[in-house]
Amino acid sequence: MEQRIAEILIQELKLENVTPDTFDVSCDLVKELGIDSMDLTTIVLVLQGEYKVKFDEDIYPSLTSVRAIADQIRQLQGTVS
Amino acid sequence: MDLEFRAAAQAKLSTTPTAMPVTFAEILKSPDIAERFQKIRRFFFLRESTYDMTSRCNVRCDGCYYFEGDKQSSRDNVDVAAWRDLFRAEKARGITFVVLAGAEPALVPELLAAGYGEIPLGTIASNGLVHIPESVGYRIHVSVWGNDATSERVRKAKHMLERQIEIYAGDPRAVFVYTFTRENLAESRTVVEILASRGCKVTFNMFSATVGYQGALTHSPKSLAETRHTMLSLLHDFPEHVLFSPYSAAAHTDALSLHNLYTCPYPRQNRGQFGLGRTFRQYHSDLTWVREDSCCVPDTDCADCRHYAAGSAIVTARMNRHIGSADQFRCWLDYVDTYLAVWIQGYPKSPNLCAVPVSPSLALQGDAPASARPQGTGR
Repeated sequence: MEQRIAEILIQELKLENVTPDTFDVSCDLVKELGIDSMDLTTIVLVLQGEYKVKFDEDIYPSLTSVRAIADQIRQLQGTVS
Repeated sequence: MDLEFRAAAQAKLSTTPTAMPVTFAEILKSPDIAERFQKIRRFFFLRESTYDMTSRCNVRCDGCYYFEGDKQSSRDNVDVAAWRDLFRAEKARGITFVVLAGAEPALVPELLAAGYGEIPLGTIASNGLVHIPESVGYRIHVSVWGNDATSERVRKAKHMLERQIEIYAGDPRAVFVYTFTRENLAESRTVVEILASRGCKVTFNMFSATVGYQGALTHSPKSLAETRHTMLSLLHDFPEHVLFSPYSAAAHTDALSLHNLYTCPYPRQNRGQFGLGRTFRQYHSDLTWVREDSCCVPDTDCADCRHYAAGSAIVTARMNRHIGSADQFRCWLDYVDTYLAVWIQGYPKSPNLCAVPVSPSLALQGDAPASARPQGTGR
């Protein structure tokens, strides 16, 4: 899942010099990559459709990395208690 | 008057987002949506803060938000170097868009120039009675509160519209901002006709009461409905001069305030560390700022806030609440396209995608009952 999220992120943000394989899934998207809140919202909306989940906007601030997003999706899908 | 417009003017807003749930990716497959989304998305980098450049003003308007609260007692810092240092520091922390207000910022052109030298994207909120040098290339919003008779009564200034037009007609930086109050609805068409005849761009604002304001300008349910009808009618009749969208009209004239509809993301209502809650500051003229008070129109009653500046951030930030259908997202795109055309010098407004706006209430968060919706003043 992390790799697919990284792929979407790279595609949506048109990131260069990085691939889903080499993307650091713990990298802080806001502090280290400088992603703004609207871009993060865009990615969240794309992922909602892809994984058939609905993110409450209150948790957007916690979606700080690919790993955090993946963990959240798993929780929403009920695969993590 | 075409049928679609007639439907919108009658305020029969679409409340059925779609027969089938759609995903964001599916919505983006519509060519018109994809094209417009790419257009507006180039401006996602905008990070705003606002600055009161001076506590001085050359008019004194009823209901002015500046002369409420403590900020008017700030001691003006008139040191150009200090302001330049501030803007430099702001740029360093990621601010890319400044709103320079006041009282009246045109009275301190050297400070405006200091801002422009550091952060070249921004807007000056002015009463339009003092010309700002062309070397300051920001957007300039010229506030209009009615015809000359009304302005003289409410703003205590003679021949205000005539003087504003004389100074700013033909200036590509200028957008005239007509603020609808409960009292000036009837004269709005005449004023817009005058502005359009002089080639001026116009957008609309809604009077939003400050905390504790008891005057006659506050909107009633009836005046909100009439204002919506008037906005849509003027947008239809002056498409080359009015920068607005049907959804903008719907969002700003709803019975619920912007905060109660969309949940305001400014620090005054949002103590979180996401988006505007993290980066926005509202500086006083002494260069201080208070996080808890920071919003684009401080001392406005959040329960009555329909201010155009507030909406530009509040509605825009809630993209996630506008993906219930393709038309709902088109409405949001129209809103953002309008906001960018109004606030960004040189940004071209595209034709609106939705003639009939969806109901803003579709953007209410979740299925919360009315009693659970955000309310209050932020104080």
